[in-house]
Amino acid sequence: MARMRKKLGALVIGAAALSLTLTACGGGGGGDEGGGGAEGGAIDTSNASGDVSYWLWDANQLPAYQACADKFKQANPNINVKITQYAWANYWDKLTNGFVAGDAPDVFTDHLAKYPEFVTQEQLVPLDDTLTKDGFNVNQYQEGLADLWKGQDGKRYGLPKDFDTVAIFYNKKLIADAGVKEADLQKLQWNPQDGGTYEKMIAHLTVDESGKRGDEPGFDKSKVKVYGLGLDGGSGAGLGQTQWSMYTGSNNWQFTDKNPWGTHYNYDQPAFQDTIKWFASLIDKGYVPSVAATTGQGESDIYAAGKYALATNGSWSIGSFFGAKGIETGVAPLPAGPSGKRASMYNGLADSIWVGSKNKPAAAKWVEFLGSPDCQNIVGEKAVVFPAIPEATDKAEAAFKAKGVDVSAFLINVKEKTTFLFPITDHASEINGIMQPAMDDVLSGKAPVTSLTDANNQVNQLFG
Amino acid sequence: MSVVDTIEPIDRKDFVPGVRGSDRPPGRGDLGMALLFILPALIGFLVFYVYPFFRGFYFSLTRYNLLGTPRYIGFDNFTKLFQDKLFWNALLVTVEYVLINIVLQTILAVAIAVLMHRLTQSTVIRGLILLPFLISNVIAALVWFWLLDYQIGLVNEFISAIGLNRIAFFGDATWAIPTIAVVNVWRHMGYTALLVFAGLQTIPGYIYEAASVDGSTEWKSFWRITLPLLRPILALVLVITVTGSFQVFDTVAVTTKGGPGNASRVMQYYIYQKGFAEGQFGYASAISVILFIILATVALIQLRLLRAGESDLA
Amino acid sequence: MAITTSAPSRTADVTARPGAEGRKINAGRAAAWAAMIILILITLFPFYWMLRTAFSTSRSLFSDPNSLLPVDFTLGAFKRVLGLATTAEAQAEGGSGAAVNFWLFLRNSIVYATLSTAGQVFFSALAAYAFARLRWPGRDKVFFIFLTALMIPPIFTMLPNFILIKNLGLLNTFPGLILPYFFMTPFAIFFLRQFFLGINKEIEEAAKLDGAGHWLIFFRIILPMSWAPIITLFILTFINQWNEYFWPLLVGSKDQVRVLNVALGVFQSQTPQGSPDWAGLMAAVLVAALPILILFFAFARKIVNSIGFSGVK
Repeated sequence: MARMRKKLGALVIGAAALSLTLTACGGGGGGDEGGGGAEGGAIDTSNASGDVSYWLWDANQLPAYQACADKFKQANPNINVKITQYAWANYWDKLTNGFVAGDAPDVFTDHLAKYPEFVTQEQLVPLDDTLTKDGFNVNQYQEGLADLWKGQDGKRYGLPKDFDTVAIFYNKKLIADAGVKEADLQKLQWNPQDGGTYEKMIAHLTVDESGKRGDEPGFDKSKVKVYGLGLDGGSGAGLGQTQWSMYTGSNNWQFTDKNPWGTHYNYDQPAFQDTIKWFASLIDKGYVPSVAATTGQGESDIYAAGKYALATNGSWSIGSFFGAKGIETGVAPLPAGPSGKRASMYNGLADSIWVGSKNKPAAAKWVEFLGSPDCQNIVGEKAVVFPAIPEATDKAEAAFKAKGVDVSAFLINVKEKTTFLFPITDHASEINGIMQPAMDDVLSGKAPVTSLTDANNQVNQLFG
Repeated sequence: MSVVDTIEPIDRKDFVPGVRGSDRPPGRGDLGMALLFILPALIGFLVFYVYPFFRGFYFSLTRYNLLGTPRYIGFDNFTKLFQDKLFWNALLVTVEYVLINIVLQTILAVAIAVLMHRLTQSTVIRGLILLPFLISNVIAALVWFWLLDYQIGLVNEFISAIGLNRIAFFGDATWAIPTIAVVNVWRHMGYTALLVFAGLQTIPGYIYEAASVDGSTEWKSFWRITLPLLRPILALVLVITVTGSFQVFDTVAVTTKGGPGNASRVMQYYIYQKGFAEGQFGYASAISVILFIILATVALIQLRLLRAGESDLA
Repeated sequence: MAITTSAPSRTADVTARPGAEGRKINAGRAAAWAAMIILILITLFPFYWMLRTAFSTSRSLFSDPNSLLPVDFTLGAFKRVLGLATTAEAQAEGGSGAAVNFWLFLRNSIVYATLSTAGQVFFSALAAYAFARLRWPGRDKVFFIFLTALMIPPIFTMLPNFILIKNLGLLNTFPGLILPYFFMTPFAIFFLRQFFLGINKEIEEAAKLDGAGHWLIFFRIILPMSWAPIITLFILTFINQWNEYFWPLLVGSKDQVRVLNVALGVFQSQTPQGSPDWAGLMAAVLVAALPILILFFAFARKIVNSIGFSGVK
C-alpha cells in the first residue's frame, strides 16, 4: 500500500514538473525579434511587409481607423493591418496578460496614465532613431503633445494621435427657462471664497421640486429636481479631470513639482484645499449632486434625463451629450479663476509599439502613418475626436460644425493656451488607490479637507 | 410508531460492515479501479489547478510586477498584509457580504425548491425561476445598477413617488454591501433552488405518503423528513455558495468599484487592484493564499458539521 | 434477482403529484402560491426591463428613463446584434458601428460550451463514482483536496493556464479554449459525488453478486439511475460555460474561435466613463440567452419526470 502511495506521489510530482517545463520555456514577454529597436537602434522600414496587429478601445473611432488602414494598404500593398477593438473595461487586462504571455499586439493605442508603467517594465519600443532615420517630423503636432510621450530617459515612446480638453455642456432649454442667455455663460468667473459669477449662475440654474431656484428663499436642497451643475461619476480621485481640475488649475496650483515626471505631489497646498473646500460646499448647498447620488449611470445619461443644467465634461463625450434625444445642447468655455484665466486639463493618446512585436518594421511604418496628416485628416473628418496635427484639428472642427456641433469652447483652450498637462508620474495606479477613497470621503463630507494632507504624504512616500 | 420517527440519521456507531455499506475498506479495496476512474480528472486537476496554485504560492513569497522577474523576499508580503488596514477592511467587508448573501440565498432557495416540488409541476415555472442565472454576473449588475440608480432608477422613482427619501443603494456606505448581496441573491437563488430541487427529487415519495397517513403536516414533514434527507445536497449547496460568495468580484467591479470610500472593497477586488492595477502581484498572491486558507478551513468545518460524506438514503 | 432500473411507479406518481389526492384550498396553500408569485415577479421584472430596453432606441433611452414601454420603439438593436445593421444605422441610434458576425460567434459558443460541458460532466462522473462508491485508502482526504480547487483564486489560474495554452501552441483554437474545463471542475465532482452517495446500495450489491464489474455497474446502473442530476449538472455547466467571459477573451480572440459572449462585449461601454449601447446590449443578452432557454425546456421534462431513486420494488 505504501508503494501505491509513493507511485501516486511520483505521478503528481511528475505531472507538475512536466507542466513546469512547458510553461518555463517561453513564458514572459519581451525578446528582440523582428529587426532591432529594443535598444534604440533604428528600425529599417524600407522593406516592411507582413501583418501588423493594432488594438484600440473606442468602437466609435473604429470606422475612422479602418479607413486609415485602407488608405495605408493602398500605399503599402505588402503590409496587412488588422485592427481589433476591445471595450475599455477589458482593454488593459488583455494587454497586460498579452505582455506577460507574449501575445500582445504589434501596435496599440496607449494612454498617458498607463504608459509610464509600461516604460518601466520595458514593454515599449523607443522610436527616436527610427523617426530620425525616416526623416519624420515630430514637430507637426499641437504644442506640448509630443513631449508628453517622452519617457524619463528622454526617449520617445509614442506618436500623438489625438487630444482632448474640458468644457461646459449646457441644456439650452433649462438655461432659457431660467432667463439666462447663452452669451452669459461665456465669461463666467469663480473664486474659492464666494464662488463668483459661476456659483451664482449654478445656484440660479438649480431648481427644487416645488420650483424654487437655488438663489431664492425657501429652496429645499434635499428635494432638488434639476442640478445647476452635474458631477461626472464621483469625486475624481487624484485627477478630477472633469470634476474639479479646472478650478484647481485656475487657482495657480499644479499637481506636481514638475510635469512630466514629477516626484512630489501638492495636495497639501492651500490653493488646492481651498478649492476643494469650495467645491464640496457646492454639493453641500444642493447645487451639485453628491458622490453617493452619482454612483450609477454616467453624467451624460443623467443630463439626457434633463437633470443637469450644466455639466463639465471632456471632448470625448461630445457624441453622448449632443446625441441625447430631445435636448438641445450647447458648449461654453470653462470659467476663469483667481489666476485670471481658465484652465483645462490637456490629455492625449498616442500609438506605441510593443517591444515583443515580431514585425517591427511594418509596425513602425504603420505608427508613422498614424502620426501623419494622411491618417489624421481622415480621422478629423469623421468628427469623433480632435487629432493632434493642427491641420487635422481644423478639419475636425469643420466636420463637427457640419453636424451642428460647435466645438470652439473646447479648442479655445488650445488657441489661447489655457491648458495644463495631465500629470505624468510613476505609481499612477497606487496613487489612484490612495486618492480615490480620500477624495470620496472629503466630497461626501465624511472627512475634512485637511485629511488630504495625510493622503498627500502617503502619495509622496511612494516616491521614496 | 410513525414513519417519521423511524427515519433517523445513521449514526456512525450503528453501521454494520459489509451490509449497509461502510467506509472501512478491507485491505487496499478498489484502489486500482479508483485510479482508473479518476485518472482524467486527476490530469486536469494537476495541470490546471495544482500547478498554477503552487506557482501562485511561490509568487506570494516574491516581489513581482508580472513583467519583470520575481524577486524572492520570503514572508515579507505576509507580515505586510497583517499590518495592512485595507486587508482587514477587505476581510470584514467580505464577511459582512457573505453573511447577508448566504443567509438570504439559502432560505429563499430552499423555500423556492420546496414550493416548486410541492405546489406545482410546471416546467415553465421552473424555467422562469432559473432565468436570472442565464445572464452573466456583469449584465445582472449593469441592469440593477440602472434600476437602482439614485437619480433616474425606477426603484428610486417609486420610492420618491410614495413620499420617502431616495436611497443611494450603491453610493451609500451602509447600503452598498447589502445591495450587492441582494443583487447576487437575485441572480443565484434560482440556481441554488435548482440544486436543492434536484436533491428533493431523490427523496422517495412513499415516505411523505406514509407520513401524511400518520397525520404529519407539511411543515412537520419538512423539518423531520425533508431537511435531514437533504443533508448531502445541503452540504453541497452551502459549501459551493459560501465559497463562491467569498470570491465576489464582478458585481463590485461593475458597480461600486470598491467604494464609496472602501465600503465595498471586497477581498477579490482588493487582490485584483493590487495585482493587476497596481503591479504588486506578489502581494496580491499573498492575500490570495490567505483567502484560500480561510475558504478551505470554512469548507472543512462545514463538511464535518454536516457529515457530508454520508447519506441517509443509501 | 434481476437487475432492473425502476420504471415510473406508483411511488413516482406520488412524487410527481403531491397533494393530488385530497387537494384542499387552505390558507397555507394560498399563502404559498402568493409567495411563489411574488418571487416570480421579482425574478422577472428585470427581464421585462431588458426586453423593453432592447426595443428602444439607445439615444433616446434617458429622455424618458422610467417609462415602462420601449422608448422610441425600434428593431435596430436586434439588427445590430444579428449583424444586419450598417454602420450609419447603428451610429444614428447610438450604437457604435462595430460589426458583429453573429452566426459565426453563435456557432463558436455552441461548440465551446457543448464540448467542454460534455467532457467535464463525463470525466467528473467517473471521478465522482470513485469518490462515492469505491473504497480505497485516503479516499475522503483526496476528495477534499480536489474540493479545494474551488477555492484557488482565479488570479492564480488565469495567467499560468494562458501561458501553458500559448506554449502548447493552442492559442485561438478550440482545444485551447476547452482544455482547462474539459477534464473536471471541483463543482461537478462534488455535485455528482453527493448524488451518488444517496444511491441505494442494494442494487449494487446485487449486481456484484451477479458478477458485474465496476465498469458495468457504472455505465448500466449508476448512470441511468442518476439521469436527473446528470442532466441538471449538464444544464448548469452548459450555462456557466456559455457565460464564460474572461478566459475566452484571453485565449480566443480571433474570429474563428471568438465566442458570442466575448463578441457582444462590443456593446459595453467603449470609453472610461461612457455608457453602454443599452439597447444593443440588452438585445444581445436576450439573444445569447435564447439557446440556453431552448436547451433547458427541451430537457426540463426529463428532470421533472425523474425516475424514483428507490430502485427497488
